Amino acid sequence: MKTNWEGYYLDGRSAARHRVAIHLMPSGLQVTTEAGTLWWPYPEIRQTQGFYAGEEVRLERGGEIPQALLVSNPAFLTELHRVAPGLATRFHDPARRRARAKLTLLAALAVIGITTAMYLWGIPGMAGIVASHVPVSWEESLGGAVVENLAPASERCTDSTLARAVDEITTTLTRTLPASPYTFRVAVVDNLTVNAIAAPGGFIVLFRGLVERTQTPEELAGVLAHEMQHVVRRHATRLLVQNASTSLLLAALTGDARNAMTLGLEGARVLGILRYSRQYEEEADQEGIRLLIAARIDPAGMVRFFESLKEKEQGKEPAFFTYLSTHPSTADRVERLKSLAAKADGQWVTLLPDLQWREINQLCHAGGD
Amino acid sequence: MTGVRCPKCKLMQMPRASCKSCGTPLGGPAPSPIPAQAPAPRPTPVSPQPNPPASRPNPQAPLRTGPMYRTDAPPPLWTEEAPPAPPPGIPPVATLEPPPPLGEYTSESHGLFFYGKGGSLFGIHIVNMLLTVLTLGIYHFWGKVKVRKYMLSQTEFAGDRFAFHGTGKELFIGFLKALLIFFIPIGGLFIAPELLELGDLAKAAATGLAYMIILVFIPVAIVGALRYRMSRTSWRGIRFSFRGRVKDFLKIFLGGWFLTAITLGLYYPSFITKQYAFTASHSYFGNHKFGFDGRGRDLFKSFLLALLLVLPTLGFYWFWFQAKMLRYLSEHTTFGQARFRSTVTGGRLLALTLGNILLLIVTLGLGWAWVSVRNARFACRYLTLEGPLDMALISQDAQRASATGEGLASFLDLDTGFDFG
Repeated sequence: MKTNWEGYYLDGRSAARHRVAIHLMPSGLQVTTEAGTLWWPYPEIRQTQGFYAGEEVRLERGGEIPQALLVSNPAFLTELHRVAPGLATRFHDPARRRARAKLTLLAALAVIGITTAMYLWGIPGMAGIVASHVPVSWEESLGGAVVENLAPASERCTDSTLARAVDEITTTLTRTLPASPYTFRVAVVDNLTVNAIAAPGGFIVLFRGLVERTQTPEELAGVLAHEMQHVVRRHATRLLVQNASTSLLLAALTGDARNAMTLGLEGARVLGILRYSRQYEEEADQEGIRLLIAARIDPAGMVRFFESLKEKEQGKEPAFFTYLSTHPSTADRVERLKSLAAKADGQWVTLLPDLQWREINQLCHAGGD
Repeated sequence: MTGVRCPKCKLMQMPRASCKSCGTPLGGPAPSPIPAQAPAPRPTPVSPQPNPPASRPNPQAPLRTGPMYRTDAPPPLWTEEAPPAPPPGIPPVATLEPPPPLGEYTSESHGLFFYGKGGSLFGIHIVNMLLTVLTLGIYHFWGKVKVRKYMLSQTEFAGDRFAFHGTGKELFIGFLKALLIFFIPIGGLFIAPELLELGDLAKAAATGLAYMIILVFIPVAIVGALRYRMSRTSWRGIRFSFRGRVKDFLKIFLGGWFLTAITLGLYYPSFITKQYAFTASHSYFGNHKFGFDGRGRDLFKSFLLALLLVLPTLGFYWFWFQAKMLRYLSEHTTFGQARFRSTVTGGRLLALTLGNILLLIVTLGLGWAWVSVRNARFACRYLTLEGPLDMALISQDAQRASATGEGLASFLDLDTGFDFG
């Protein structure tokens, strides 16, 4: 058993280091310096370096400005554990490095597991809870600001026939919705994009391009039902929460590395959010068609509308882009909608029986002209 | 990679021909050619080793000529041939070497060396990640301390390693204070006008005020973080400290931005030099001060050249200017009778940067630990302190510093990652 070691002693007062002899005792270290002998009881000593191969052992003792002992031979620690097995547990044992490597590997697996679980269930679950506690008035003021930006009054279609027709379809749908705290406000904006947007709080914006594309009022009802489900299910609010918590999760994971990993992080966040967003689209499709059926509106209209979109974009983008999109691929949607619509049958009401939809849907003009 | 231990001074080091501390032959391989992962020897022309690094022949460094950076330097006080007798009072331990006399480091060039390994740092990061996620982010501060401790413990100057003495608790409190005095008021200034539905003028005023406060807080955070980090860094048990005042730095910082703006950037080299001069000349090791004797105008010609060449070289010339600036700033930094010396070149800086970018892209950012290790190794490899150092004259003079500035710096994204304090 080797109990005599050599090392250096730093007194915490001067930058000179003193060569010392260290004697390992069962209850402490006897340190012999040129000036005399020091007694370092183990419970007062803490190890601050020497946890890695090739790193010298550094022991400190004392308060704010500690004294230190440096021993370059790592076998010192092994001996220390042998001489004082009970008291030495506070010091690193080089024999445990292998176990530490295994623990690190386990930690890596745990990180992957926890991250996956958080992403798949934790964040969506939490977003659902948070969103259900957000007051509708907050959603309304947020949605109002979004719509103000997206569809300013000067760009909205002003034709009263069109507005009345859209209102009637909306009312038919809302009648069958279970009591909801939302007041639906639908605006048609003079823009040729084929799109519709549901902002939080009951605001729905239809783009003129989309309205003109619909062949029947039932097709428009399908789009509206889809957007209404976004509103009722608070998808936009949930996405906001999910966006923020995904950023937080990624920040917690990367810590100080966030600057080096900025690009990768942004990519991961956007991809993560897109998946959430596609899930909500699917949910809105499914619940939207249920709403149509409940309102006795023929769901074939909704299917037909998405089919017409599919024909338009046929061969335009490879399937790969599905993963990079906020929406599921149109072909997938049509298939899903078809199977949902097939289950329903019965008497359908005719929407706007007295009006020529193909004329009405061309009536959009913004206020200015 | 395993280290070898010098039989004379017991220093652990990478296998090499001679001890990097005392020069005793080790019988290891001559350090050439440089292995990909192993820290390469520094190409300092002033090498106390019998074999200068063969891989980086330096025409200015003839073999075995001893100290030459400063030819007027005093001759070594202590040589291997004549070790002084051990002082009385030390018991006869068989293996105990006689202690070196005062001012033991008499070789003229004191090098820095970084021993850290990407794998170990990555392991630390993994464990930090896990604990940070499990504690909902609170462990972040303790994890940060772990990383800093590792980086400084793996950095060696003249045979002794640095140590970091900060704690996670300090950083956490610093963060909370910064949250209270900075983040919440600034956030309030941005959000309040929206919530109160104030007019556009009031909104603009609040936003303007918020940016003004941020601008003032940047120098406050820089000085505060510097003060904290240096006060928690030690070498041979002696703390570093930063004693510059925020007020003075604020003047340099705001004035510098103003002058740089109105001179269309021409003031930039002077601004950088002034900031550096302030930082260096208010830094202490124990009771001894660092000094700086450079002037911004010395860099002006190089800066103009860089401006001319930066476009024709697609920006690459900037690395050469940066290297020139680093060399200039290092070489005008002094500590007592000793002077720093840098051998950074534009090519080396470019290789480091390109390598780092490549590493990050290929590993999707996971190679970050290896990038930090590369940066630290680089920072050490080309920096030396040349001249006599009398360690016995340096005594402890630690300064108090809170971690609030550190917390502020983290809000303002001023984290520089690795530094020597």
